[in-house]
Amino acid sequence: MSRFSRELTVAGALGLLLLILAVFAPNFYHLQPFISRLTSQMPALVAAVGIALVIISRQIDISIGAQLSMCAIIASVAAGSGLPLGAVILTSMGAGVLMGALNGVLVAWVGLPSIVVTLATMVAWQETLRLWQQGRMLALPEGIQWFGLSQAAGQTAVISVSLTIVIAAAWAMKNLALGRFIYAVGSDAEAARLAGIDPRRTTFGVFVLMGVLAGLAAVLNLVQSPQVQPNCGDGLELKAIAAAVVGGVAINGGRGTLWGVLLGLLLLANVNPALTHFHLPPYWEKAIQGLVILLAVLADGLGRRKRPR
Amino acid sequence: MKRKSFITTLALFATLPFVSCSKSESKGKLTIALLLKSKGNQYFVTCEKGARIAAAQINAELKVDGPINSDPAKQNEIVENWITDGVDVIVAACENKDSISTALRKARAAGIKVVTYDADAQPDARSFFVNQATAQGIGEQLIDTAATLTGSEGEFAIITGTLTSANLNEWIKHIKARHAAKYPNMKLVDIKPCDDQKDKAQQETTNLLSTYPDLKVIVSVTSPGVPGAAEAVKQAGKTGKVKVVGLGLPSENNAYVKEGVTQGVILWNVENLGYLAIMAGAAVAKGDLVAGATEFDGGKLGTMEVTGDQIILGKPVVFTRENIDQFKF
Repeated sequence: MSRFSRELTVAGALGLLLLILAVFAPNFYHLQPFISRLTSQMPALVAAVGIALVIISRQIDISIGAQLSMCAIIASVAAGSGLPLGAVILTSMGAGVLMGALNGVLVAWVGLPSIVVTLATMVAWQETLRLWQQGRMLALPEGIQWFGLSQAAGQTAVISVSLTIVIAAAWAMKNLALGRFIYAVGSDAEAARLAGIDPRRTTFGVFVLMGVLAGLAAVLNLVQSPQVQPNCGDGLELKAIAAAVVGGVAINGGRGTLWGVLLGLLLLANVNPALTHFHLPPYWEKAIQGLVILLAVLADGLGRRKRPR
Repeated sequence: MKRKSFITTLALFATLPFVSCSKSESKGKLTIALLLKSKGNQYFVTCEKGARIAAAQINAELKVDGPINSDPAKQNEIVENWITDGVDVIVAACENKDSISTALRKARAAGIKVVTYDADAQPDARSFFVNQATAQGIGEQLIDTAATLTGSEGEFAIITGTLTSANLNEWIKHIKARHAAKYPNMKLVDIKPCDDQKDKAQQETTNLLSTYPDLKVIVSVTSPGVPGAAEAVKQAGKTGKVKVVGLGLPSENNAYVKEGVTQGVILWNVENLGYLAIMAGAAVAKGDLVAGATEFDGGKLGTMEVTGDQIILGKPVVFTRENIDQFKF
């Protein structure tokens, strides 16, 4: 089995879907809807990069949707109070750092399982938002949507920033010590420790990084319209985790590439538009996405069994 | 022992003037207590405004209270206080149907009349429910507005919350029935769920616009869907070409309505809901509105029909560019 077999399989599936769309639903490729669709997936892509790192380090973070909502609302309140755009972006990412650090401390130093910790923080943030905002939509001041640029320039900026994150993370995972630490800790924390890596520091760092990316994703989300809804991150955790798993990130850590995550996200994200363009009922969306995830997990399981121990 | 009874007597005398005072006041003037779901919410602020107009008109004393945040326990506490105060009528919007019903039953047992509005309690905990809208009224108003905008022809699509939401499906059922009966030249091309997320509604609308280039109007039966659909239409550069109508709050749609992206936002008249709730409460207290009645005098709203134990506010209002600024909720 070649090293990039999963990435190639997902790329093949995505290519096939895009080809079928090109033949039977050429409207899919009209420039404006195509760009808008792509732009709308970018916050999930940035979050998926973060979750991929978390999963590779053999942890999980299901609080990322709630983190994104919190960051988006905090940033909106900051924007509403008159802070300039740059400060709003930093506020959002700062809020992400704090929430990520809380998860990180509880997992890395207190030693609690990440699924329980992040379930708790997820509920905490969601309830905080519910009490604080009561489901109200917040209007953003002028100059926030599209970073104060034109729609085309704003969309280009959102897409460029997101792809830069993917490229930078892919490079860092391969070339930086932290990247290698993440793989090492995810493969075998004890072996990593014996090799001189502090798994706790690595784990903490990964959760903080996740928070930063959730904060950035929140910004990329809120610049796409003039209003923000306190539930804007709902369901993001599933989307991001699914993209990572489909893209070949091993759910038990140590393995996966960010190119796979990018492909996995694009494949899953295009299921719904494809259904609409083929005039199929929306009931199928979740079923098909579920099937794709199941196939990915099955492929993982079979692949592991074949590998000599 | 002697000392204690002395204090009791003293205490009794001390309260006597207050008791007699409030008694004499309540003889001439009705005391109505209006319970809100949440004090800071513009929707209920508007309800209260209507309630004050009604109270002034019938010369009743109005007490208004509610939790700062929607909090069922706090609502119970407020009702308990009103029972102690001995108000004549409680007019309540219920945050939690079951939890408040116990307190409201207790109020009724104490001789206080109870009417609900906006969100009902259990039927045995109140005399009447002032219902803001029926599924039929909402569904028909949505499709009628869409038809008016498109000359009753062309393709339309619906944005809903989730495909399993019972009340939204009920509204869609009435949209379809009205569509079949009255608008044969309109064609429903798709129904998309947005999971009550504005961003998903925006994405679904983007897909609908590219799949159905002849789409004339998007109808959202869920409130986050209205601004979501509007943003997608705006980004597609189809402002005015593809119309947007939906059920929602004026405040969330004001900008899009002004820009001409959204043509109609539909909701019941919230101020009149507060007004009618007070009129109904007063009518119950005066004995003008009793079980089995088929109509009652709704003041400035005219004679209101009573169906069973419900009073229907009437047809929803359409907020348009002309009137949307008058509504702050």
